[in-house]
Amino acid sequence: MTQPPVVDVRSLHVRFGEVEAVAGIDLEAYAGQATALLGRNGAGKSTTMRVLAGVVPPTAGTVTVAGLDIRTDTVAVKQLTGYCPDVGGLVPRATPWEHLQLSARLRRLTGWEERARDLLERFELGDVMNRVTGGFSHGMGRRLSVVLAAMHEPRVLLLDEPFDGVDPIGVEATFEVIADARARGATILLSTHLRDLAVQACGTALVLRGGARVAAVDAEEMAGEEGARAYRALLD
Amino acid sequence: MPTALSSTDPDQAYDAPGRLAAARRSVVDVAILFRFRKQAVRRRHLARVLSLAFLAVTLGAAVVPAFLPGAHGAGRAFDILLLIPTLMAGILVLNIGSAIGSGGGRELISRDQAGPHPISPTTDHLGALVLAPLNIGWMIQAWVLLGSVSYSVMPGRLVQAQVTMILWILMGTALGQVVAWAVEALRRGPAGIVISRGMLVAAVLVAGAVQLTGHTARVLDRVPTVWFFAGGTSPPLTWRLWETVLVLLLGTVAAVVVGAVPAHVAARRMPRDEARMETDQHSPRPMPRSVLGILVRTDRASVWRSVPMRRGVLVLAVGPGLVALFGDLKWAQMTILPGLVASGGALLFGVNAWCLDGRGALWRENLPARATTLFDARTLVLAEFLGVASLITILVGALRAGVPDAQELAALVATLVVVTLQVVGAALRWSLAHPYPVDLRSARATPAPPAAMVGYSARLATSTTFTGLVFSGCAHVPDWRLSLIVGMPCVMWSATRLARTRRRWEDPVTRARVVSTVAA
Repeated sequence: MTQPPVVDVRSLHVRFGEVEAVAGIDLEAYAGQATALLGRNGAGKSTTMRVLAGVVPPTAGTVTVAGLDIRTDTVAVKQLTGYCPDVGGLVPRATPWEHLQLSARLRRLTGWEERARDLLERFELGDVMNRVTGGFSHGMGRRLSVVLAAMHEPRVLLLDEPFDGVDPIGVEATFEVIADARARGATILLSTHLRDLAVQACGTALVLRGGARVAAVDAEEMAGEEGARAYRALLD
Repeated sequence: MPTALSSTDPDQAYDAPGRLAAARRSVVDVAILFRFRKQAVRRRHLARVLSLAFLAVTLGAAVVPAFLPGAHGAGRAFDILLLIPTLMAGILVLNIGSAIGSGGGRELISRDQAGPHPISPTTDHLGALVLAPLNIGWMIQAWVLLGSVSYSVMPGRLVQAQVTMILWILMGTALGQVVAWAVEALRRGPAGIVISRGMLVAAVLVAGAVQLTGHTARVLDRVPTVWFFAGGTSPPLTWRLWETVLVLLLGTVAAVVVGAVPAHVAARRMPRDEARMETDQHSPRPMPRSVLGILVRTDRASVWRSVPMRRGVLVLAVGPGLVALFGDLKWAQMTILPGLVASGGALLFGVNAWCLDGRGALWRENLPARATTLFDARTLVLAEFLGVASLITILVGALRAGVPDAQELAALVATLVVVTLQVVGAALRWSLAHPYPVDLRSARATPAPPAAMVGYSARLATSTTFTGLVFSGCAHVPDWRLSLIVGMPCVMWSATRLARTRRRWEDPVTRARVVSTVAA
């Protein structure tokens, strides 16, 4: 690669008290590429995503997004990222439209309404855009989280378990969002347990185990029966 | 060859337990759930100290007043003796009100956690009964009653009178639960919300009519609690005493058993106000001009679209106001009210203020806004919530209080400002120090576990009551400037502490801990 990585993580450590959730992850992700984060529960995928989203500060190591240090330029990094968290991710008593308004106001967006409506329609959420999200099903919540992450066309799209409990139409719409983001040169990081979907959506796959990276391979190598065996071997 | 189980296979059929077995199982389940909750207590040493303190205060309230000067005499002690049946009736009314306000009592385990487990409504009902005493309001009522009996009843009959009072408190709690479940079942039925609101308005109107027509004393003289109190203080070892104890014991057991019936009915029905809140359409509004504006709007929606907060603030704002109105409270006495209302309001969500975002906290934290702006928005919304509730109380109470003097008005305004700042500061400090993952959908949800709520309510009640009493004293001094002089250092102290909390919120590690916890 000749161009510098948009996301550059060096020796990232995150500790919560006695627990070390991330133990020295290195990660590079480039513009126009989608990278899958794979691994068992507790491997450190979601914590890494939270660090990149500026939600959890790193305990040690360096993390830069588009050349900005996440420790010192946290708000600027948040401006550049779009984040779909692994759990919920929605304010329970706000409507989807109010979520979008909040995001648009804080990011100083103008003329965002048409794109927002289009995304809501693509994810089949147009009918419920004025209903509070507390009454949403799990799948509806996941779909809206992807819409919120993608609406402002971020330079870095962080999708943590976006396919969890989502129906085929939602999965397809998420694929479209990822493809659109890649086409406009955004960097995508996708954390999921669904290996087949990760292989379809991403070009590179990083396998994490025990809070550290154990492999970085072309996503193709994780495809099919052969890929499943290779992945299984990396998890043990 | 079919491998599925046959529906006609008697061995595979599920044998539903009989009613007695189911009840026994519910009692065991309550113990299991209570132990489960106990395990989650973070500061066990503190919990033990608080339990011992509760026992010590209860014992003190039941015994110490008997040794005070003037006890059992013909003066003040006799006046208190005459008021005891009214106090007993008050306990019953407050228990009913508290249980209705919380939609059938507190949950031993939250609805989401309980969902996958075979927990019956009977277990839920018994759990709510177990948790009822973990409420500072319940404790204060109990202590006041035991203290009054100790001070006024002659020593030879004190033990039997206190036993009778304890049984009354238990029966009152169980009866409160029965009424609350019945009201909840009714609310969840067809046109239930309209009917229950109509009943509430009718009750307020009747109480108001009785008070305004001067019949209160006559009504209170005839309350059935007189029979129980007379029985509890009748000569030792007489049938009248045994009869009273027996009626109370049987009444308590009956109320506990009967309460399970409406609890089952309520459990079978959909909570209408929650369902309505979750399916209501909210038309899009124009975009606010500032970042703070939209954050405040989002937080405001989170507060006012929550069933427990709407219901709670209504009870808190209107209840004490009506007591002040019917009790013909004077302006100087009204300085107690803002502290009471603000403390109660903070217990609805303020003591765990960041839980308002629920699981959306992670997404919100990714939004490019300064941490201090988020803090300011939450502070403003909490202050507004408490301030509005206190103002409603004062407005209702003021209807019969006439025109206040300058010193009374200054004292009331100073109290309002000082206690609001005091409560907001304390609530946000605790929210930062002890966040909890809580879903405030249900009317029965509380922002923190029951034991923590007792601690918060005790601390808030103590500090705000003290503040209210200080300004009540200021209202009697014929110089309005005194309230301002007293209020100024209080405001500065609270503002300094609030600013310190705001600085702590800026620390990304602290914020990450809070956000990750409330979103868990």
